[in-house]
Amino acid sequence: MKSKESSFASPHSRRAFIRNAGRAAVAAPLLFSPATKSGAAGPAPQAHQAEYYDKLTDKKITCRLCPHQCQVADLERGSCGVRENRGGKYYTLVYGQPSAVHVDPIEKKPLFHYHPGSQAYSLGTAGCNFNCRFCQNWEISQRRPEQVQSLKLLPAEVIRQARGRDCSLIAHTYSEPVVFYEYMRDCAALGKEKGIPNVMISNGYIQKKPLRELCRLLGAVKIDLKAFTEKFYREQCGGTLKPVLDTLLTLREEKIWFEIVVLLIPGLNDSREEIEKMCHWLAREMGNNVPLHFSRFTPTYMMKNIPPTPPAVLHEARRIALDAGIKFCYIGNLISNAEHTYCPSCAKLLLRRLMYSVSNEGMQGNRCRSCQTVIPGVFV
Amino acid sequence: MNISRRRFAKTLLLSGTALAAAPRFPGLLTGAAAEMSIVVQAVSPRLRRQNHDIPPAAAREFLDRSLQAITGKTDPAAAWGTLFARHETVGIKLSCLPGRMLSSSPGLVAAIVSGLQAAGLNRKNIIIWERSSRELENAGYEISRSGLKTMGSDELPGRGYGNRIAVAGSVGTVFSGIMESIDALISVPVLKDHDLAGVSLAMKNMYGAIFNPNKFHANRCDPYVADLCSHPLVRGKLRLAVCDASRVQFHNGPAFFPRYASEYGGLLVSRDPVALDYCGWGIIESLRREAGLPSLAAAGREPSYIRSAARLGLGRDQESQIQRIIL
Repeated sequence: MKSKESSFASPHSRRAFIRNAGRAAVAAPLLFSPATKSGAAGPAPQAHQAEYYDKLTDKKITCRLCPHQCQVADLERGSCGVRENRGGKYYTLVYGQPSAVHVDPIEKKPLFHYHPGSQAYSLGTAGCNFNCRFCQNWEISQRRPEQVQSLKLLPAEVIRQARGRDCSLIAHTYSEPVVFYEYMRDCAALGKEKGIPNVMISNGYIQKKPLRELCRLLGAVKIDLKAFTEKFYREQCGGTLKPVLDTLLTLREEKIWFEIVVLLIPGLNDSREEIEKMCHWLAREMGNNVPLHFSRFTPTYMMKNIPPTPPAVLHEARRIALDAGIKFCYIGNLISNAEHTYCPSCAKLLLRRLMYSVSNEGMQGNRCRSCQTVIPGVFV
Repeated sequence: MNISRRRFAKTLLLSGTALAAAPRFPGLLTGAAAEMSIVVQAVSPRLRRQNHDIPPAAAREFLDRSLQAITGKTDPAAAWGTLFARHETVGIKLSCLPGRMLSSSPGLVAAIVSGLQAAGLNRKNIIIWERSSRELENAGYEISRSGLKTMGSDELPGRGYGNRIAVAGSVGTVFSGIMESIDALISVPVLKDHDLAGVSLAMKNMYGAIFNPNKFHANRCDPYVADLCSHPLVRGKLRLAVCDASRVQFHNGPAFFPRYASEYGGLLVSRDPVALDYCGWGIIESLRREAGLPSLAAAGREPSYIRSAARLGLGRDQESQIQRIIL
């Protein structure tokens, strides 16, 4: 019989832990990625009736899914590039058609306090409602469905595939799940019924109504808080900050587990003043139990002229967060002791992480083995 | 040959303009290239659509006369040869989103091809293209992957788009592989209103040459259209704009709405896409007035990207700098 501490919590030898970390880092099982380098014109993406839009006159519609609220004329698409107006009806062109499918550790998302050590069947379609100049997945997020290869993978098949690959979770990730809302929601509903929780890895740019519907079905959410200024959102992402903060407030109200990631980009969103302001807002509005991850930037896409974030900046940001009262603050994309989880009461090491591997050092169930402090999150 | 006084003056002016253009095969006009931009506007019942298409013979005739007026050459083949060299590969970028009722007419495109051939270009070095083959087929074109090619970008490896990121001002994108492979480009838009941009003409047609046009529709596409056209791949290759105004959608575009469409029977030709867009915009405004519709400015859709393009030196948008020649 399995103990309460499931696979993540089983004691790893030091050697096994390092071996697993290496595997996780270099050989995450790759099932399907966009093969944009070959292949002629593919079949037209199949259309599936979209939701959350208002019909206007002359076959126009207004999309109500995300805060862009695109007004879309007949034959045109919204800013996301994957939702199309056909004769006054709005359709999603990515339902059941993921362009990237992998098996990833949940730590890669990163979600550190949600089923640690679990494998997530991870998928994403073409399209995004942002236009981040530093997007790491731009080859699918910025393309339109017809520009990438995709699989036919309806929700029931997603569940079947996840089970077949020993994944206890399904993650909607890589591009922006909000733009494949109907697909994610149907996967999440079926996953809930079948006992495989779904998680969303998102920029949080979504209207309140569809978000609330989603919260009833998802297991957890990770939000990328890109910065704490409207200027950054406008100039670097093609969006706005306020709706993302509203999303965080809604997630808190809905009592769903969520974690926040901030990618620190030198010279753009890493000033001490901005980080302090952000951390104090988070501590005040979210409470101090929501994990915050500061992630290291690496040059990519349209931002190849900016160097990687210096480690000292990441450590300083973490210090600011801890000083603001945030109990769990991590550093990502950089090997350091700031990847581990420590007990906020007795400071004992609870979960040790190396890259995407995790070992239980001091947890019993959801408590610190040493002082019995309850650690927030979902530890199964 | 009888030449009217007016025609003589026009021709004289045009010859001077043509001589002022320094490079033999320049791309878009630069500030120093010419004093005036020429836009030829033809309106004739013969340019109206019959069975949704312009008769190729009429299109060729008006195109030749336009090119002669623009280049100052009396011989049509020489006029085409002024803009395109025999050895070059030429892409003809169509506008086919709305389907057969409101796409670049096959008859007009056939006339452009025949003009290029008259200048000595090999058919196999001409590519008639759009974003996707599907759009071309819906507009009445037959896909051909060899000889005279008619195909969507999506026929190319990588579904049309590689991984080379191009940045021009506010626009970051990946161009269609076809843009990379051609020497010269002809933009063949349809004269139409656009719900977000105001109008969608020669410059906006270039949105079909990039992988993420959906990202650049905010603020009436301003300055995105202008920035995109300032990229060397567009600015350096766009030699000619031929706007199909046989049927004009003056409201509720870019899709076809018969209620707001006019069987205008027109054609606009220019080497300056900014000037062409400016003149095309004027036609749409006058059709809107006739129909009792508010101006695009009053509707909150003034195509301000045309002015932005002029500011970038991509062409001219001032009446005083545009020579209109009416055929």
